[in-house]
Amino acid sequence: MSKKIAIDVVTRVEGHGKVTIHLDEKGAVKDAFFHIVEFRGFERFIQGHPYWEAPLLVQRLCGICPVSHHLAAAKAIDQIVGLDPGDLSTVADKLRRLLHYGQVFQSHALHFFYLASPDLLFGLDAPPEKRNVVAVAMADKELARKGILMRKFGQEIIKAIAGKRIHGIAAVPGGVHKTFFPYERDYFLEDNDTPDVDTMIKWSLEMVQFIKAYHEKNRVWLDTFASYPSGHLGLVTDDGGLELYDGKMRAIDSVGNTRLNDIHNDEYINYFQEGVERWSYMKFPYLKKLGMKEGWNRVGPLARLNVCDYISTPLANKELQEFKSYWNGKPNNSTMHSHWARLIETLHCAELMKDLLIDESILGNDLLREGVRRPEGIGIIEAPRGTLIHHYKVDDKGMITKCNLIVSTTHNNEAMNRAVRWVAKNVLDKQPEITEGMLNQVEIAIRAFDPCLSCATHAIGKMPLKVSVFDHQDKLLHERIKSS
Amino acid sequence: MIGIGNCGRSDDGLGWAFVETIEKGGDFPGDTLLRYQLQVEDADLISQYDQVIFVDAYQGGLEDGYTFKKCLAAKDFSFTTHRLPPETVLYLCQELYQKNPNAYMLLIDGEKWELEIRLSELGQKNLQKALNFFEEEIIFKAAVLK
Repeated sequence: MSKKIAIDVVTRVEGHGKVTIHLDEKGAVKDAFFHIVEFRGFERFIQGHPYWEAPLLVQRLCGICPVSHHLAAAKAIDQIVGLDPGDLSTVADKLRRLLHYGQVFQSHALHFFYLASPDLLFGLDAPPEKRNVVAVAMADKELARKGILMRKFGQEIIKAIAGKRIHGIAAVPGGVHKTFFPYERDYFLEDNDTPDVDTMIKWSLEMVQFIKAYHEKNRVWLDTFASYPSGHLGLVTDDGGLELYDGKMRAIDSVGNTRLNDIHNDEYINYFQEGVERWSYMKFPYLKKLGMKEGWNRVGPLARLNVCDYISTPLANKELQEFKSYWNGKPNNSTMHSHWARLIETLHCAELMKDLLIDESILGNDLLREGVRRPEGIGIIEAPRGTLIHHYKVDDKGMITKCNLIVSTTHNNEAMNRAVRWVAKNVLDKQPEITEGMLNQVEIAIRAFDPCLSCATHAIGKMPLKVSVFDHQDKLLHERIKSS
Repeated sequence: MIGIGNCGRSDDGLGWAFVETIEKGGDFPGDTLLRYQLQVEDADLISQYDQVIFVDAYQGGLEDGYTFKKCLAAKDFSFTTHRLPPETVLYLCQELYQKNPNAYMLLIDGEKWELEIRLSELGQKNLQKALNFFEEEIIFKAAVLK
């Protein structure tokens, strides 16, 4: 008799999705799917709004990464007012970057400390009541206090520049709307209720050491769990460095061959297409020339470190070289190494924030530029979870007529499905009993991608997540449900 | 005073509406802020205060339309990034920072939770009751005692 397993709600991810695992009559895994069951609507209802509203409206897609949507939309809207990224004032460019690095820093801290650390600290078979940040806080108070303050630091950066920690406003068409004052800047250079930026660098480095030590002890698990060959996509600088705010798109295959050779943002439409499956609201982006089956890519920290040649800040670059040397310079396809990559990026962001905070020119008041209107704008940014694309078209009156959003988690759609299938085949296959710990491993694989499902489907509303096992007659055998 | 909720979801905005009204009144001597939901880092925040009041909407019916009660620390493992109860934040504050602020919860009963930037009639009525209570019983008496 064949069976189907559904994990319905997947926990400690941002959004609402479910996993179904189909077993055959012998209990072998036939197939597995990661379904996204939220309804998307942002791309449609933003039509008819004036272009300048886009950076404000789209950040409501998410309470975790609103800054990323705000900035990707702002970059696109800059083009509609006739400005390319290089046309912005230096002050505006630096303030936007500082805001962005603060966002990536706090988001990565949130994911590592609040969402992923229970898996690492308590193991695969820990009881459900132990697998959360409250238990982490009780088990390692020092780690918890650092995690809290690192996230707080990033959020305070966001608040200083955008006015609020969530859904603030910093970018306007052609620049930013507010000067960064010396007293605001000095807050981050001194110890007060939040430690200074040097402490953030020190703690970030400690976290990289932590994950490396953890890897030493758990090498086989981290190297092989949900590991499979894939393409990797991310932004790079002109000379191949890691770039989070504005760069060229580069993709490589699982062994390092180039699939997309440093294309300009405006060209993305010539290279990418989005496919659909009847069982998910989330689309499946892929490289047109390779087709849907072969052209999908991972995005996010692991992919970014795979596609870049170096990192511009010294401490993170040293860690990158060590990270790359682990697989002898070949692309790293170990899904669980995403946590390692994420912490290297956290360190990079801390270093970048310091560079900007001690740069006196960031306090300048040359905030805005003007240009000649264009009918179309494309903004691409590396959000914490990966490459984020915003594309708008406007009519003569400046009203939005078309909006296309390809968010990071959407790029990772096929990659997450592969990870779920890996766990289904390697953990659940032909097991006489499906345990809670086994089902948790499905979630661990998904969680490595730090997916944001509300962003991916552009949903609004409540976001519970759901894993189920069904037999060949669609009879439910096991289920996990948690509302959020 | 921390208002919890979302003004874009009708009565889920009761906590915010309460805090905003208190702010406008100008008599409240403490700091105020609004949150969509509490987060772990709020344990750090409240550790810096002697007293904290969490104001939130309530779903399920309250006899007087609102209730004001002591918030007792409680270990709760149901954390998601979209929900963390005040009791758990207080628990984390005690455990991580060895601080134990006097904490209270003011819950205001609502009835509508869909996408709308407007309180329901019942929500508005209960908001007013809670405000009257707070101004007369808490702010006024605190001022007299001072």
